[in-house]
Amino acid sequence: MTISLAVPDLLIARAKSGDVEALEALYRAFETPVYNLAQRMLRHPEDAEDVLQETFLEVVRSIKAYRGEGHLWGWIRRIAASKALMRIRRDQVRSEDVFDEELIEGAQPVGVPVRIDLERAMARLSDTSRAVVWLHDVEGYTHEEIAEMMGKTVSFSKSQLARAHTRLRGYLEGEGIAR
Amino acid sequence: MMHCTMEELLALRANEGSVWGRQHLDACPVCRGELEALYQRVAQLKALPPISPARDRWPVIRDRVQGSRARGRRMWAARGLAAAALIAGVAVLRPFGGTSAYANELERAKQQSASLEAELQQYDPDSRVVSGRAASLAADLEDRIATVDGWLAQLNSVPAGPDPQLVKLWRDRVNLMQQLVDVHVTNAAYVGL
Repeated sequence: MTISLAVPDLLIARAKSGDVEALEALYRAFETPVYNLAQRMLRHPEDAEDVLQETFLEVVRSIKAYRGEGHLWGWIRRIAASKALMRIRRDQVRSEDVFDEELIEGAQPVGVPVRIDLERAMARLSDTSRAVVWLHDVEGYTHEEIAEMMGKTVSFSKSQLARAHTRLRGYLEGEGIAR
Repeated sequence: MMHCTMEELLALRANEGSVWGRQHLDACPVCRGELEALYQRVAQLKALPPISPARDRWPVIRDRVQGSRARGRRMWAARGLAAAALIAGVAVLRPFGGTSAYANELERAKQQSASLEAELQQYDPDSRVVSGRAASLAADLEDRIATVDGWLAQLNSVPAGPDPQLVKLWRDRVNLMQQLVDVHVTNAAYVGL
């Protein structure tokens, strides 16, 4: 998703001074991009809404630290991506991230080919793989940046991306879920 | 014939492919097709329509922001009250020899209030997600605590003996603080408001 959203410096200055109307204007400007990023990375809309809320609470708390280097969206996006990754890590601790194509809801019987669209194919990936695909291929983060945010190695990020694309290709070409 | 792996295709896309990969790609229509499909897939991902949240989260965020500011003001007010009470205690309570039941009661309420403030600060409610209902309850309680603080400030500005009204106000403050802690820490949906 391409964001060409320009935020007036005056609005940022007012937000830094704690002006609630300015903070709301920032929220309205970035509500959809932040939610979209979170929803593309996470499985449940409720989790994405929580990330949206956590992100803007962090924005309100930290806006004074924003130095104006780079686009404001880049700064907010980084906060949102970190919050979403934290949620994935937390859920992994609980479930060990086993949710994958073998466990999807409404899975086809083994051996039956199924051709699906890209959004459904993305939903079938593990949370980690989906997050890496979105951050790298759509948001444009480098493997180094993703590794840093995830607390993993660059090799981990690269292998997750390759694994995800192998699976996406399989789903989209109608290879089905059976391997 | 050996084809490019997905890792190799991704490396080629990033202009980081091996010499073998580049040479193979030139000679292999299958791998060129795979690379093209990879580009197409990513282009389709980028073209997915943006998703908007079903619910407006701003009211909750706004309440949290305003609650946080009220909490900050309240903390400073409480520190001011404690300092004023200390001065008043030196000046006024000494003649009672510290034996007054009111004085003891007052001291206990102040300690409880400080303890609850510390508990709430340690919990750091600003960093947590709460429901709209809980945020609204917390904002209401914070308003009521601010009102009590205003009355306490007025009483403290007038040197007097250990006034029963002063004790009652501090007890009220403790009661409201306890409810506020309950809302944040235990996510209580009902606190008698």
